[in-house]
Amino acid sequence: MFRNNYDNDSVTFSPQGRIFQVEYAQEAVKQGSVVVGLVSKTHVVLTALKRNAEELSSYQKKVVGVDDHLGVALAGLASDARVLSNFMKQQSLASKLSYGRPIPIERIVNMIGDRAQTSTQHYGKRPYGVGLLVAGVDDLGPHLFEFSPSGMTQEMLACAIGARSQMARTYLERHLDKFADCSRDELIKHGLLALKESLAQDKELTVDNTSLAVIGLAEKDGRKKLEKFKLFDGQDVGPLLEANVETSGGGEGDAMETDS
Amino acid sequence: MTSIGTGYDLSNSVFSPDGRNFQVEYAVKAVENGGTCIGIRTKHGVVLACEKIISSKLLKPGCNKRISTIDRNAGIVTSGLLPDGRHLTTRGRDEASSWRQTYKAPIPMSALASRLGGYVQAYTLYSSVRPFGVTAILGGWDSEAELGVDGQVGNGPAAGAGGKVDDSSTKRGGPGLYMIEPSGLYWGYYGAATGKGRQAAKGELEKLDLAAPNCSLTLKDAVLEAARIIYVAHEDSKDKEFELEMTWISALDGPTKGRHEPVPKELLEEAEKHAKKSLEPEDEDEDEDEDDMEE
Repeated sequence: MFRNNYDNDSVTFSPQGRIFQVEYAQEAVKQGSVVVGLVSKTHVVLTALKRNAEELSSYQKKVVGVDDHLGVALAGLASDARVLSNFMKQQSLASKLSYGRPIPIERIVNMIGDRAQTSTQHYGKRPYGVGLLVAGVDDLGPHLFEFSPSGMTQEMLACAIGARSQMARTYLERHLDKFADCSRDELIKHGLLALKESLAQDKELTVDNTSLAVIGLAEKDGRKKLEKFKLFDGQDVGPLLEANVETSGGGEGDAMETDS
Repeated sequence: MTSIGTGYDLSNSVFSPDGRNFQVEYAVKAVENGGTCIGIRTKHGVVLACEKIISSKLLKPGCNKRISTIDRNAGIVTSGLLPDGRHLTTRGRDEASSWRQTYKAPIPMSALASRLGGYVQAYTLYSSVRPFGVTAILGGWDSEAELGVDGQVGNGPAAGAGGKVDDSSTKRGGPGLYMIEPSGLYWGYYGAATGKGRQAAKGELEKLDLAAPNCSLTLKDAVLEAARIIYVAHEDSKDKEFELEMTWISALDGPTKGRHEPVPKELLEEAEKHAKKSLEPEDEDEDEDEDDMEE
């Protein structure tokens, strides 16, 4: 009657040593709309494609600022991402209070990784159904981490997760060598172009469906200074789209216009 | 597999009629697919090495380290489910720090293996948890000197109950290498291997004759051998590229001064060059083998 007895909970190994519940949670990430992240020596950029449930509804938030030096982009269950990003906000603040400096990115990523691991080893819990790209700047420079529901976290040079993200990844792999020396604006351009690769045929990037965030180290009077997390949403992305992506509908961008 | 469909393999902490806990056996399967990890123990110190498969070009090279430091004198490398490995590493660090709190001294490797072995074993006892999908190799050096620790108060009684036995025939300290399996079982080793290439690696380790009392392998030799073994155990055809990661730990008067550290870059590069070179003449060996077969 049952095709698979080993996929009912996350505390059961299959005879091959797999944990199906965790693998299924990873499928939930692939249902979410695509998000892209990439780093240079000075900046880290997140771009995201937002979806709306219906024509008249608002668009789902895809990029969340955690702290001045830290932000996440999500693909998958948004409510799970809110749990994790709230946790990160608390930890970042608590760490700043205790140690008087911003929390290192790898540390806070490991914290959510460890938390996610716990829910894959205890009965009655379920794995988080969300993948995150964590972008941030610390003493060691800009960083980009991928977090997945298994609790696995990896530092990446560039990454794309979510539906149809393979095309974006192919773009990123093709241009990987250039990223390190990119300026802030060039990095934004690559972020938007990678995102564009993953679009369905009749879709394009508009001010409504595109989110973009930048964190970086800005050179000021010969000293490195943190360029704080900045989210470009709605009308704010208009100029960036205009400058970097060819759109058919002009600057305002209209989701209804599909002719090229 | 006979276990499938009997129902005894669906929950942790359940024995089958012939006395097996299948969930633990399945956890071992998870380890068998992990990257190869090895440890070599010599008189002069311990080397840990691991094969890190590069699953994507987008990963940042040289990051995402797989070998961790538990305490100043101890390192750990895990094979299998990486997040489980992080869980175990965190526990190891907690054990090491609580040992310092209690005894004002670094945790001996034997005690660390015992504590972690007990922790892993506890995850085979309850149906509310699953066993660890990792095998861990612990390497470290127990100091032969009595190290003072931050917060130490006095030196304890010199004689009588709790007094120190200053017996010069007692040998203190030395290298330690242990491997902990998902069942919680652990043994001490001269050379340990786990992960995908463990069979090939074990074969190579045995050739080193590490258990012999007159084994002349120096710590640097062990580093070179460890690199070579990881290269030998790597399956070119099946797997993509990999990164070699190595750490080592020596006595107080050795190169690492009793600390667990990454192998220095120059030595790592030398070891990799040596490993690649030693793989080349293997083709000739294979030819010879074929000749033997024909005869």
